This record gives sequence, C-alpha cells and structure tokens, in this order.
Amino acid sequence: MQAPGDGEGGAAGGAEGGAGSREGEGGPRPEGAEGEAVRAPPQAEVAPQPAGSGRCLNRAPSKLTVPFRTPLEAEMARRSLAPYVQRPRGLVQKELTVNGSALAIRWTAEDPVFFRISVNAFLDQLSLVMRNIRGFGSPPMRSLGRGKRTDT
Amino acid sequence: MPAVLGLEGSANKVGVGVVRDGAVLANPRRTYVTPPGTGFLPGDTARHHRAVILDLLQEALTEAGLTSQEIDCVAYTKGPGMGAPLVSVAVVARTVAQLWNKPLLGVNHCIGHIEMGRLITGATSPTVLYVSGGNTQVIAYSERRYRIFGETIDIAVGNCLDRFARVLKISNDPSPGYNIEQMAKRGKKLVELPYTVKGMDVSFSGILSFIEDAAQRMLATGECTPEDLCFSLQETVFAMLVEITERAMAHCGSQEALIVGGVGCNLRLQEMMETMCQERGARLFATDERFCIDNGAMIAQAGWEMFRAGHRTPLSDSGITQRYRTDEVEVTWRD
Repeated sequence: MQAPGDGEGGAAGGAEGGAGSREGEGGPRPEGAEGEAVRAPPQAEVAPQPAGSGRCLNRAPSKLTVPFRTPLEAEMARRSLAPYVQRPRGLVQKELTVNGSALAIRWTAEDPVFFRISVNAFLDQLSLVMRNIRGFGSPPMRSLGRGKRTDT
Repeated sequence: MPAVLGLEGSANKVGVGVVRDGAVLANPRRTYVTPPGTGFLPGDTARHHRAVILDLLQEALTEAGLTSQEIDCVAYTKGPGMGAPLVSVAVVARTVAQLWNKPLLGVNHCIGHIEMGRLITGATSPTVLYVSGGNTQVIAYSERRYRIFGETIDIAVGNCLDRFARVLKISNDPSPGYNIEQMAKRGKKLVELPYTVKGMDVSFSGILSFIEDAAQRMLATGECTPEDLCFSLQETVFAMLVEITERAMAHCGSQEALIVGGVGCNLRLQEMMETMCQERGARLFATDERFCIDNGAMIAQAGWEMFRAGHRTPLSDSGITQRYRTDEVEVTWRD
C-alpha cells in the first residue's frame, strides 16, 4: 500500500493531498496557517502477497504512520478518530497508536476489497481532522500523560 | 450565558449554528443537491459535508461575532441518520472540542427539532408532529421523555415524497418536497390513493408503490397530469398525518400542536393541521424553512438545554448511531 504523499511536505500535506484530489477540495487556506513542521512523508508497510494465489488475501497487518507536528496533535487526531475506529467492522480490524508525534494505524483484513474501502474511508476522515487542526488553531497546552495510547 | 456551537449533518444538509440564551447568533447551512431522478448516497453526501463543513464553521463563528474561546460547549448530531455523513460531522466536533478545550455533547437529531420548535414558537407543551425525509413521528412530552405516540411503520413521509419526485424527474433543487408542493398547487383532480392509518401509526410504502405504478399508467393515457398526482399524494398523506396527530392530542388532552421537520415547511400541511386545531379549539405552531429544515442551530439549542442540565459526552463515548430513538434520551432539562 502506497501512502498518499509526494514528499513535498509533511504527512499533513501528503494525506491531505490524496484526500483533497479525491474530494475536489480547494477551499481557501485560513489566514495565518502555520507551515508544515513535519517534513517526512507518511511511512507505509504492506504484507507480501502469497505467490500463485488467484485471490489476493492480506491476513497480515498493513501499517501507516502519519507524523504530526506535536505529540498533542497526534493524540488529538487519535481521539477524534478512535470512536470511528471502534465500530465493529467484521472483516477489517484497525488499531490506532500514538508514538511520540506520530499516529500509527494498523489494518488487518482478510478481504482486499474491504481493506481498500476501509483505508480510503479512514484517510478521508484523517484528512478532515488534519485540515481542522490546521485551520482552527493550535491545541491548548496540556499534559498527555505517559506511555503509548492505543485504540482498537 | 453559555454559548453553544451545534453541528448537524445527518442527511443531505450540513449546518453549523451558534445559540446563546435563546438567541440564534448564526445558522449557516449547505445542501447537497443531486440531479433530478436521483437520491443522495451516504458516501457522496459525506464527501460533500467534509468539503464544506470547515468553511461553515468559520462562517458561523464570524456571523455570531464570537471567538472559539467564547464558545462554552460543542454539540453535534449523534444520530439518527446516515452513517458516513454523521461520522464526518462528529469527527469535526471532537476535533474542535479538543482544540478549544470545550465539553462535547452528542444530541439526538429529533430532539434538536423539537427544542428548536419550542424555542422559536414559544409552544409550552405541544403534541409534536415531526415529519421529514428520514422520520415521521407524533411525539408528546411526559415524565422526562419525549414519548412517541405514533409513527410510520415503514418509510418516512418525506421519503415517500422524495422518491415520488424521482419518478417524475422533479428537480431536487431546493428540495423535491418543495417542488412537489408547488406542482400540487396547480393540481385539479384528486386521484384516489390507498389511505393507510393503523391505529396511532401510518404506512407510506404501499402508497408509494401504488402511485409509482399509477403514475406510469395514468400519465401515459393522459388520465391525469403530474400536478394532479402531486396534489393527490399530498392530500392523502397529509390527511393521514392530521388524523394521527389529532388522535394523540385527544389522548393527551393537548391544546397545542407543533410541526417540526423539513416536511413541516409545507404550507398545505400547515393549513390542514390548522383546520384540525381550530375544530378542536387548539393552537398550531410551526416554523419557517430556516428552522424546519435540518440546521445546526437546532443542535446547538438542544445542546444548550442539555449543557445547562449537566449533560456531557466523553470523547470515548462520542460515536454516532444511525438508529437513535427519540424516547431514548432522558429529558432532564424539563419538569
């Protein structure tokens, strides 16, 4: 799975670019929007496909890592998306984890069609969250507590 | 003097409203309109909402003349409605609640309509006829619940009208129901349609099937015009709604009736309800299209009531639900 990103900006730009082109969004950017603080594009890992199989089955997890500007933003995105993730999805399982300033999403799916649908839908929501964070100011300074936060 | 921000997007309208102490400070809205002959699908509708909601949010704050710090609570539609659009709006609500460090409130869409209707009209304890594309219920307040006295057993009356509009390829702009209403004014012939009232409940799916079939036959032979069919459908379904509302009013001894929901904008429905109320010595209340049709301010108003009563929705519990009954909510803000 190729993560949406063209390397020109941070993960916010990468994920947003992919979703933006899909949705045809082109609204004006808010005044004073800060530039990308993160330069690395999202990192993706895809499980190798079994050779010779007529049907593409992906039972091993696929992972996407989305860097944010701060751990607080990453945690904020996780909390915004977690209730969406927690709905029972049957053949597709998602797990959200925050590691430092990065939000990691891990998919486990048996069917590639459901997998694709799940990834696309999630990226749409992620893009919205990122535009929201960028457009409506920095989050208030407050402690996140210690350790990784995980939602499945 | 709490100010509450409300986000609504359970169907094809997405709106952001701001309410403070009974005053609607802002209420911008956008509608996803599809071509004639088609309806709106969840994925496409959600895509529309995601594209416009952040602009709407900024527009609402600007119109209200408030900064994010002056907002005391963020309310959003928890349900019922279409899944993907609900999720898109809920995600924004969660994000801004965290950004601004404000409490979050999940609101029942139906209760949003009721509370906005009560605010705008001043009705004290009415029998409520809630009619829209997604819901058809007769509701009255009793002992901390909005009780459902009667409802559709299949499709909503607005859904019946909207799907009939597709058969006739009536424009969806501004809404199929509005265009049916305009055509109905020019109707001259009443076509007899099935009339399905079952006690306190109503059924529209059979009427829809019947009129879809009748439309093809009768229009082909010139037996009636599309205007006649629009007129006949309205007269039939609205009479059914008046009957079950009157039955509920008689049961409750109510002297007030309130129409809410998008179909409540229909002037013919209001006229028929007014006739019934006058015959009973009761009073009819209705709002205009700003507040009848789904909007953000109604969510903000219900959220305002809930916020003052101490309700809060933790982030961990801030999902959406496509099926959310009106009587599931404990109405702690009323006696």
